[in-house]
Amino acid sequence: MLTPRLKSQPCYPPMEWDRSGRQHLLFAAGEDAVLARRLFEWPPLGTLTVLSVQENPDAPSCWRSGLPPGAQQRVARRRDAALQQLHDLLEQADMGARLYAVGDEDSIWQALRIAERVGMGAEALRRHRIATQARPVYCVHCRHTTRGVTTNVADCEGCGRALFVRDHFSRRLGAYMGFQVDAEVPGERPEVEEIYR
Amino acid sequence: MKAAPLAVVVRAVRELGPEIREFTLAPADGGRFPTYSAGSHVVVSLPIGERVHRNAYSLLGDPAATDEWRIAVRRQSGSRGGSQWLHQHARPGLALEISWPVNLFSLVRTARHQILVAGGIGITPILGQARELARLGASFEAHYAYRGAANAAFADELQALAPSRVYLRDSERDGHLDFGALLARRPLGTHVYVCGPQSMVDAAKIAAARLGWPPGHIHSEQFLAPAGGEPFEVEMRASGRRFTVPRDLSLLEAIEAQGIDTPSLCRGGACGQCELEVLEADGTLHHHDVYLSDAERASGRKIMPCVSRLEGRCLVLNH
Repeated sequence: MLTPRLKSQPCYPPMEWDRSGRQHLLFAAGEDAVLARRLFEWPPLGTLTVLSVQENPDAPSCWRSGLPPGAQQRVARRRDAALQQLHDLLEQADMGARLYAVGDEDSIWQALRIAERVGMGAEALRRHRIATQARPVYCVHCRHTTRGVTTNVADCEGCGRALFVRDHFSRRLGAYMGFQVDAEVPGERPEVEEIYR
Repeated sequence: MKAAPLAVVVRAVRELGPEIREFTLAPADGGRFPTYSAGSHVVVSLPIGERVHRNAYSLLGDPAATDEWRIAVRRQSGSRGGSQWLHQHARPGLALEISWPVNLFSLVRTARHQILVAGGIGITPILGQARELARLGASFEAHYAYRGAANAAFADELQALAPSRVYLRDSERDGHLDFGALLARRPLGTHVYVCGPQSMVDAAKIAAARLGWPPGHIHSEQFLAPAGGEPFEVEMRASGRRFTVPRDLSLLEAIEAQGIDTPSLCRGGACGQCELEVLEADGTLHHHDVYLSDAERASGRKIMPCVSRLEGRCLVLNH
């Protein structure tokens, strides 16, 4: 989606290498062979590390085939483990580093939050959304984030309230805002629809 | 922004080297100054002859001090006399007018490590920043380069702030700072602040870009004295005025001398407040500011009248 409905909603322009960087770190959660081929065709100067989440490391992956010569490869079976590896890599990286986060919106923003915590600014970060449109939803009542929400109304995993999922996005939290759907008029609820697939 | 100026008196003058003097300023009414943020400067009005010169000087003391502010001035022999005038006339008791503090060189509070670099009299804002970072307990280091030990005006004061994190460099003895080495292999979240001569700022920017630093992590400040030049004509198309900019006035000062209201802030080519639109230029624009981009200069459509001027016959401005 290039035109967000709300100003806070992030844009995801097609990803390109930032050739002013000297250490490039690609974090990938999800497959996109066309994107991988395009990126690997003309890699940037400097070092390149590709860190991908792969539940089955034996299955073929676009992030493991066709890697440019000299590129380092890291694979993690689970996203949490991959994010921990990302954190460790960034702690060792220096000011010439750039991070490219590819994946569903939840994965992208979890990766970017780690980058921001180690001091990277927006200039050094790029993002590209693929795979599911499912949303992480932050409950404004109990502050729990429910992940993988595909419907306009969803139950909060933290407090059980039925939350209306807004387009209002928090970059700090990496989540969309959710509030009790019938807060204004108790009992008045819209039809539940699956709209974020 | 035209806040009423602050009336101050010179409280003390300190000789810090052959060409450098520190002036301590206090509120003329015996009251208190506001606090300011580290890296701020004030614009001092200097009544030279029949005209008022306005020069920007960084506040170098403790940003939390409200009883007195300190500035340091190096005598610039090639300039039009602002620094010379201060060196000759500023004695304890002298009344002056200064602007409220403005900060174009503020610290990034979220940085994980800060590298402060001062060249010569560029130490003044760096000293305020080092004091602030020491107070916050932040991770930082300071590099102070000067030409000859006699010019190391604030070395002791800087070292007292952070004894193990201050690096002094006498460029006559040790040569120039190697920014390639200084900025290499720095952890993410590092910011560098450079205040010094143009060549030093350029060297820092080139080295940082070569190492892949994002531009937003490189901060610099330079105040330039307006260069004099040959007289030229100015036409202010919107206000319908036409006058000559003499040899020893900046374009901005000449506009003000006509009684025309025009915005300005740092008056040293750094802040961008006084930018004017050029409609026609019968001659060559000489840009001396550090604000406009190369593309803006090349377009010939903008000028910073505080430091830049025309070499030629007539400049037409949209004002």
